[in-house]
Amino acid sequence: MSGANEYTVRAPSVPRMWSGSKMAGRLLGTAVIVALAAMPFVGNAYTTTFIFSVLIAYILAQSWDWVAGEMGYVNLGHYCFYGIGAYGFAIALTGHWPFVVALGFAVVVTGLVALFVSVPLFRLHGDYFAFGTLALLPLMEVLAYNLTPITNGADGVVLPVAQVLKPAYLLALAACVITFLATLRINRVRFGYALKSIRNDEQVAETVGVRIGPVKRKVLVLSAVFGALAGALQAWQMSYIDPATVFGLNVALVPVAMVLFAGSGLRWGPLVGVVVLASMQQWLLVSVQGYQAALYGLTILLIGRFMPGGFLRAKWVRRVPLLSSLAREHHEYNGESAPLTRSTADLPLKRLPVDRQKPLIELQDVRMQFGGNVAVNDISLKIMQGEIIGLVGPNGSGKTTLFNCISRVYTPTAGRVMFAGQDLSQLGRDQIARLGVGRTYQIPRPFGDLTVQENIAIPLMFGDDPLSPRDALREARAFVEYAELSPRLLARADALSVQEKKALEFARALACKPRLLLVDEVASGLTPAEVKRFVEHIRHVRDRYGITVIWVEHIFSALQQVVDRVIVLEQGSLIADGALSDVVKDERVLRTYLGTAAAAHAPQPAIGPLASGAA
Amino acid sequence: MTKSSFQRIAGAALAALGVALMATPASAKIGSCIDPIVFGTTLSETGPFSTLAGRWRKMTEVFVEEVNKTGGVMVKSCGKKLPLKFVIYDDQSVPATAVALYEKMATVDNVDFFVGPDWSSLGGPVPPVADKHKIPMVMANVATPSVYDRGLRYIWGTPFPVVPRWSERYFDMISKVIPKPQSIYFVTHDNPVMKGITATWSKKAEAQGLKVLGNETFSSELKDFTSLIAKVRAAKADIVYISSYDNASVPLVQQMRQLKVRAMDVHHTMLTGSLARQVGADIEGMTGELSWYPGIKGAYSDLVETVMKRSDVTMFDYIWTLGRLTSYLTMIQGIEKAGVVDREKVKEALFKATVKSPAGDVTFDERGFADTGAFTVQMQNGKVVVVWPPEVATGKVVWPSPTWQQPQ
Amino acid sequence: MSFDVLLQVLIGGVLLGGLYALVAFGLSLIYGVVRILNFAHGTLLAVSGVLASLAFSAWGMQPLLIAALLAPLMFVCAYGYYHLLLRPLTKRNHFESTVGTVLVTVGTLMMLSDITAKAAGATQRNIPLRLPAIEFGEIVISTTQLLILAGIVLLTVVMHLLLKRTWFGRAVRAVTQDATGAQICGVQSTRIKALTFAFGSATVAIAAVLYVLSFPVDPYMGFGLTVKAFTIIVVGGIGNLPGALAAGVFLGVAEGLTGLYWKPEWAPAISVVAMLLILVVFPKRVGARI
Repeated sequence: MSGANEYTVRAPSVPRMWSGSKMAGRLLGTAVIVALAAMPFVGNAYTTTFIFSVLIAYILAQSWDWVAGEMGYVNLGHYCFYGIGAYGFAIALTGHWPFVVALGFAVVVTGLVALFVSVPLFRLHGDYFAFGTLALLPLMEVLAYNLTPITNGADGVVLPVAQVLKPAYLLALAACVITFLATLRINRVRFGYALKSIRNDEQVAETVGVRIGPVKRKVLVLSAVFGALAGALQAWQMSYIDPATVFGLNVALVPVAMVLFAGSGLRWGPLVGVVVLASMQQWLLVSVQGYQAALYGLTILLIGRFMPGGFLRAKWVRRVPLLSSLAREHHEYNGESAPLTRSTADLPLKRLPVDRQKPLIELQDVRMQFGGNVAVNDISLKIMQGEIIGLVGPNGSGKTTLFNCISRVYTPTAGRVMFAGQDLSQLGRDQIARLGVGRTYQIPRPFGDLTVQENIAIPLMFGDDPLSPRDALREARAFVEYAELSPRLLARADALSVQEKKALEFARALACKPRLLLVDEVASGLTPAEVKRFVEHIRHVRDRYGITVIWVEHIFSALQQVVDRVIVLEQGSLIADGALSDVVKDERVLRTYLGTAAAAHAPQPAIGPLASGAA
Repeated sequence: MTKSSFQRIAGAALAALGVALMATPASAKIGSCIDPIVFGTTLSETGPFSTLAGRWRKMTEVFVEEVNKTGGVMVKSCGKKLPLKFVIYDDQSVPATAVALYEKMATVDNVDFFVGPDWSSLGGPVPPVADKHKIPMVMANVATPSVYDRGLRYIWGTPFPVVPRWSERYFDMISKVIPKPQSIYFVTHDNPVMKGITATWSKKAEAQGLKVLGNETFSSELKDFTSLIAKVRAAKADIVYISSYDNASVPLVQQMRQLKVRAMDVHHTMLTGSLARQVGADIEGMTGELSWYPGIKGAYSDLVETVMKRSDVTMFDYIWTLGRLTSYLTMIQGIEKAGVVDREKVKEALFKATVKSPAGDVTFDERGFADTGAFTVQMQNGKVVVVWPPEVATGKVVWPSPTWQQPQ
Repeated sequence: MSFDVLLQVLIGGVLLGGLYALVAFGLSLIYGVVRILNFAHGTLLAVSGVLASLAFSAWGMQPLLIAALLAPLMFVCAYGYYHLLLRPLTKRNHFESTVGTVLVTVGTLMMLSDITAKAAGATQRNIPLRLPAIEFGEIVISTTQLLILAGIVLLTVVMHLLLKRTWFGRAVRAVTQDATGAQICGVQSTRIKALTFAFGSATVAIAAVLYVLSFPVDPYMGFGLTVKAFTIIVVGGIGNLPGALAAGVFLGVAEGLTGLYWKPEWAPAISVVAMLLILVVFPKRVGARI
């Protein structure tokens, strides 16, 4: 359940030494860059050429990891961007455009291509995305062979011979530094958190306000631009490209393997992976006779088998001082944010005005049909501001589906949902979230590889009144405190127990700063004392902040304590809507829950069995 | 990160840097009369290009042994022969790797001269390295003319044969056979050399009075040639000219046979043993070109035959072999002609030089491009027979090609 | 073009597509049940093809015998491979098991290509079996092609029967749909996965023998073939064998028609374009793993 495993975050170093080591790190980094920059002038051409290829590999690897490691989309066709950049640059240069213009052209063209293919590609998810992107490479190769007027076909593009190793090297070094800094920046700003939320659970990310469409496109274009830069610089240095060289399948997976080898999604993962594997490959090439590729493949295979998170994530790495500092996850660099100054008894939520006469949400003949199966059957209901509504019904009666219709996880087949007078049918999930609809999920869906604090900070970053990550992390602590999860502040969400995850769900939903809170069976599995505490939370959020609550629950005794009204569903239809005491007497309700015999034999409210928590 | 670990890392980095800068193995110093002459080369032993030829490392090592058996390379200024040594790396069919390796051989291994590489993909990026370090380089099988047009002064190439002379003897032959062919149809493999051949020789065919009825290009990936062959059949040309690498055309030849393509002759620009092995009896009656054939006696032919026998490589199998060996022989002759192990002198000696090869003399133009040709052969009864030019022919051409006619 | 030509092209396309589909069968099964992206799948074909060609030329074995020996050999090797290298990864979390299988299969691909190239030579090879052709008017079908067609049909029928009629087949389908549920019903999920992996790989060995009767192989062609197989199972549907056959045939015919009505050099692009078009136009058909 709880307990430290390799995924629990270690406490960051004591603040006193923090700035000192940061300074040392920066100094070392600058020293390394200076040393590398000096290489073409003091070293021999071989070392320079080798390091140049490492630099190019790093740009490719790191730009790939933005999409794969950060966002979770494995783009196996990333090498295409390299190839298009190389061709764009080479064609522009042979057309006698100045160098800088050619470079810019290559980068812009590739970015546009990425934008163009992102439309079909992002209709795919998971493994299908990987397949689809993989197929791009042979397609690009055929295009390069056949679009002869543009690409010169199989002849390739011959660039004028200019000994450009030094400037190419220096530009590549600059590009690497920019790539690295870009990685740091991405992980400090909201964009990085958007990526990570998509990586964990796209759907949930949308329902907490992240606009996933633009984010995906942006990161793909960004990775394409850097990939193109790498391709252009390499083409410049080699002074010749042909289709097989830049789109060949025999080299396409190498940057991917390099990143995965050390650790995708880590700050130092791509760099370490590239340096280690490229050096190993070069060493094999010059020192070993025969079977070099087999040995290279064997190394990759062994890492995959024994250290599949990348060798930087292996257990033994934590014990080696140098390596362990390279093995830190991105969020470990953020450390603990500053503590809150104000009292944590109060949540940073606006206190909404409540007019009990005005409806907050209205469903008009909402119907949700999946093929022949009607899950929500022409339901109409009206919920006033400030009400706490219990939504009950047997399993499969459509309660969660109704939630999904409101939060646009599903688009209703018919009918309208009006929220605060606004028709929701034209809005997307993230817009609805920002409008003020927050929800929990029946089976908790936290952003698993992010910390509790980050989980809660994300809605704060993408809500209607967005905060910067630093402010959001700080404000998140109030919600974490409210959910009584403070001891687990920096724990990974997927290491929490089920009860803790439910508390996290609730806190995250609150962090969406909702006007309407949809709570889906949060109380099951809690002890009676915990149930009582939870009920208090529900009442508190309504009384103090004016949040309207719809609560799906089976535990009638819990509902009884706090709801104003109960709505009963059965097989997608609304069968009762009124005060709890009336509803439990309703014949149809009794028949639904207990069967016909019970309905016949129970003249009065069967408070006993229904209210004691029998679900 | 503590100060001590910082120091440790810095120290390690500097040490690595130092090591990288040093490493200088032995090599012939200019004018030295003691050290061996070192040739540096890369072979595509792994990766996609490795499918084009086999056992070349062994062949190169055996070549060195055979040359050194008689003492090595004659260097006049030393008054004796100096032994030959090779530094060989595998470029894995990756151009960037090849470039790094040639840089290594230039700056770390300190080779004296370069031979190789093969293949246009490598023949593009690698030569500038030779020019940069002013090391003469005789490339082997790089036949794309545009690579020689870049104003580089330290490169030569010995592709066998070169595009402008590739089918010279074949077209000579068909101008003299009876019945005279009137039309020709080209089927071209999508490859710069092959497309260059088609471009050049379709013009010459027209100049010779043959009607070019069509040209279909296919990619090396193509497996099902049905539609292409349908077009060929519909054209009913007298000659079907296949301008293709042997490997890429295996399914083409098999399917042409199966779909009963008819012609006076089916000609293949790369009729090799590898092709014969894969298509079996389908190859019967086809004509082709060979840069050399067993039994021809020319300069160095004894050496070449011995080397190939010992390393179990046959010229008929991989026609690129002559190109590779000739690049070695060219460099050796350049050194002998210069009389001294000096890069500049060898460069001058090779400029527009004529060198000897087992297939005859090879003359380089000012770009370093060779003028190698090929002999026309025909597969008769499972054997390769040289049919043109008549002076060196080992048999008469059977015209029209029997197995490609209508059944009697 | 006359109708005969069109028919000939269609026949060629069907046969080629059927061959591609055979390669994709194994991958479809493996991916459907074991949920592994086996990047080395095509390389298995390349290596088997090289072995088959060697067996034919060096030891004079007949193709049927070669297939009969290669398939069980591949089965045993793949079974061991799964247990040793892939099964332990299933115990890790989703991210690690995905990354791990990618690394393991890519590493295997590199090793297999290199070792085969070193041991048997990197140059292209095939089984040059010359069998007489049958003519129906202007249409010509070689006996080799008929054999291949027979092989494809036989294999499809056998696999179909296996999946629908035998306990193993039912277990495979159960695990495809719901691994946990299947386990509760007594299906030993691990064993089924290992058997499926082995079986899918054995299919590739048989496909390799058929392949190498028509087209040459070399140790480095594997990855290109894997990409094609992936394309087919995406279009045909994961775990859906008739769908894979239909998709393979569709793509083979599409390539042929592209060559006929347009230009042969564009033919290889058509499968990718078709796949992308299908994915764009019918995104729901391709089950999202969301």
